[in-house]
Amino acid sequence: MVGLSVGEKHFIQGGIAQDLRTDGRKRLTYRPISVETGANGSARVKMGKTEVIASVKAELGRPNSSAPDKGKVSIYIDCSPTAAPQYEGRGGEELSMELSAALRQCLLGGKTGAGAGINLSSLSIVDGKVCWDLYIDGLVINIDGNILDALGAAIKAALSNTGIPKVNVASTAPSDEQPEVDVSDEEFLQFDTTAVPVIVTLTKVGRHYIVDATSEEESEMSSAVSVSVNRQGLICGLTKRGGAGLDPSVVLDMISVGKHVSEQLMNKLDSEIAAAEATMEEE
Amino acid sequence: MAAKGGAAPATYSPSPTTFKKKRPPIFTDVDWVRPDGRDFHQCRPAFLRTGAVNAASGSAYAEFGNTKVIVSIFGPRESKKAMMYSDTGRLNCNVTYTTFATPVRGQASSDNKEISSQLHKSLEGAIMLDTFPKTTVDVFALVLESGGCDLPVVISCASLALADAGIMMFDLVAAVSVSCLGKNLVIDPVSEEENYQDGSLMITCLPSRNEVTQLTITGEWSSPKIHEAMELCLDACSKLGKIMRSCLKESASTSQE
Amino acid sequence: MVGSANGATDLSSEMEVDAFRRLFPLRFHERHLLESVRPDARSLGKARETSLALGAVASADGSALAKIGCTTMLAAIKMEVMTPSKEAPDEGCVAIDFHMPPICSPIVRPGRPAEAAPVVSKHSGMIDLKELSLVSGKAAWMAYLDIYCLDADGALFDAALLAAAAAFSHLQIPVVSLNDDGRIVVVSKENGEKAKNKPVNEEKRKLKLRSIPFALTCILHKNYILADPTAEEESIMDTLITIVLDTSCQLVSLYKPGGPALAYESVLQDCIALSRQRVKELQKILNEAILDMDVD
Repeated sequence: MVGLSVGEKHFIQGGIAQDLRTDGRKRLTYRPISVETGANGSARVKMGKTEVIASVKAELGRPNSSAPDKGKVSIYIDCSPTAAPQYEGRGGEELSMELSAALRQCLLGGKTGAGAGINLSSLSIVDGKVCWDLYIDGLVINIDGNILDALGAAIKAALSNTGIPKVNVASTAPSDEQPEVDVSDEEFLQFDTTAVPVIVTLTKVGRHYIVDATSEEESEMSSAVSVSVNRQGLICGLTKRGGAGLDPSVVLDMISVGKHVSEQLMNKLDSEIAAAEATMEEE
Repeated sequence: MAAKGGAAPATYSPSPTTFKKKRPPIFTDVDWVRPDGRDFHQCRPAFLRTGAVNAASGSAYAEFGNTKVIVSIFGPRESKKAMMYSDTGRLNCNVTYTTFATPVRGQASSDNKEISSQLHKSLEGAIMLDTFPKTTVDVFALVLESGGCDLPVVISCASLALADAGIMMFDLVAAVSVSCLGKNLVIDPVSEEENYQDGSLMITCLPSRNEVTQLTITGEWSSPKIHEAMELCLDACSKLGKIMRSCLKESASTSQE
Repeated sequence: MVGSANGATDLSSEMEVDAFRRLFPLRFHERHLLESVRPDARSLGKARETSLALGAVASADGSALAKIGCTTMLAAIKMEVMTPSKEAPDEGCVAIDFHMPPICSPIVRPGRPAEAAPVVSKHSGMIDLKELSLVSGKAAWMAYLDIYCLDADGALFDAALLAAAAAFSHLQIPVVSLNDDGRIVVVSKENGEKAKNKPVNEEKRKLKLRSIPFALTCILHKNYILADPTAEEESIMDTLITIVLDTSCQLVSLYKPGGPALAYESVLQDCIALSRQRVKELQKILNEAILDMDVD
């Protein structure tokens, strides 16, 4: 919870109205983003003081009978009590659930898998028998606003850093038995992340919207819209965070602004990820 | 196999519907017919009634095709003891499914929390929370039968129930969703269509204020398509809003007699 | 309101009826009882208006909506296939769940009326579990009966039992056949599988219900007996007695969970006499509902 005096509130609102925020940024400028990639399939992303970690694990599993030619992905976000005391115990559950749901919606596309950032069909090994189960876990370490964008970026970085072991399937398996698979320790396939979208959250304060709001700025918001946009500039998911209603034309305007900002974020993120991977290889 | 193996689930549904894997190619054609014979841009007939549950402060029943829901409102009543002081009211939403709501028994009971939080987000922008400080209004929904578009129906029904309970709102909340199937946009999809959809877009809005309280999009959409879908939904929302309004007027006039 | 403002000595003469009802609920009700009438204008032994609608849930194999006054119960049966146990290879099974979703009452008190389960299942002899068998030792029906309370206004058990019995009378068992994998599948009219696999249960589409149990809950208060109480009455006077009789008026179950009022033999006799009358009423309502359905 952010406690602000009336003066501080006015200062924040006034700054946003004049396109000069309290930390000197313009309305549509992000805070400095730093990406660190760790061991196989993990990444740490910092946006200002907001800090999150994402990790990807892959296990062999059985596909669902309703989608035998697809792998499975589960996304789970945990809000650590180190981020804020109210997340101790079950306190962070609601926020965790909301973030997980929003990320799932942004990354996994429609029912048929159209527009999914993660192609579930590529996770299939043997139709109806063996597939990869991808576990994506996110941990929120420090909160200073804009967690969803940071988590989206961290998951993208972690996925691009994920090598999925090559699997050889014994060819002569009877049709009704589980086939034998051999997981290679040396050969890895790099996970394709070109389709993974970035998430841009536009926070509406007064009549204007800003990106990458800090906690203080978020406390003044009337509403916020998170848009996820892929490289083709197509919208792959959108949620509005509660709050006041918006005029439909404002929503459409926010979408187009989000699309515009996402291009810059996407490029920035790509270069950060590439740089992080380069430094890792040097070590 | 399952009938013999001891480790298999104890029972199974004998109906073959669960084994369809691929969507029928007909869905991607330009001129297919919807399962219930509607036009692409035609909603199901809506049946709405307030005052379904006597024990509640307000309630409503909604039936859109096979989707049937009941929403009860309790309160404003004392917030839970553990809650901190708040100078605005609280809204507590909970959606449950009956075990027979889905074709396969007990299938839908997993993601209730997500639906509940969606319901909360859609309603909070419409309710004047400052009219009942320190207290909580409980919105409880039960989906009797799930026939597609469950969430929008629950939201519309809940706002009707809130009005029945006399909770102050800026306007009724009308919710409509469209499914994207191949190139087509179909409004108010049934379960079968939802299962094969490439994407969906749901709008909840306050029709007479022309405000959107919630918008969710899944799947891949281009801007013009979002435009088109939003137009479609907003138009349907304003029509639904009128139906909801007339339902309230009707119940008010019958109770006066 | 009848007989509430004629007391001269106490507060009731100076108070509005609603305020008196809230502040002194017991006195309010006792004043009514003196006049042999209840706040909703019923006589003491009379049950509320009761209605039944069969087939309320399209997605279930059998369903019914029962209303006693404002108390509303929705019961639905879904049939699934199971492997019968070794001890009873040619018997099916009935699983009953009673739900009190939060919508039904401001104070959800889960648990209490769940005793509906044993009465409906085999103890009452209503259902012959052998009728639920499909292939001896291989497959049998498991009937999942779920009862949802949609509106709780007293006498929950009576309404739940009525809804359950009605749902079983409405039950249409799907025609199924055994496919090549040994699984049971529904025979649908469109696919031409009929010729290949003969249906196993063409004759057994309906359950034969041997005798249907009906319940009546009464409140015992001082020497009054109040049939079919509302939630308000239940909350004020808390000695309840529930009697379940079958169609031939034989006693199936009698349940009196404690309470301050003690039941003498004559009181029990009176309760049973009330139940007898009620059984006749309910049976008529059920038969009419079944007839209505057949006409449609």
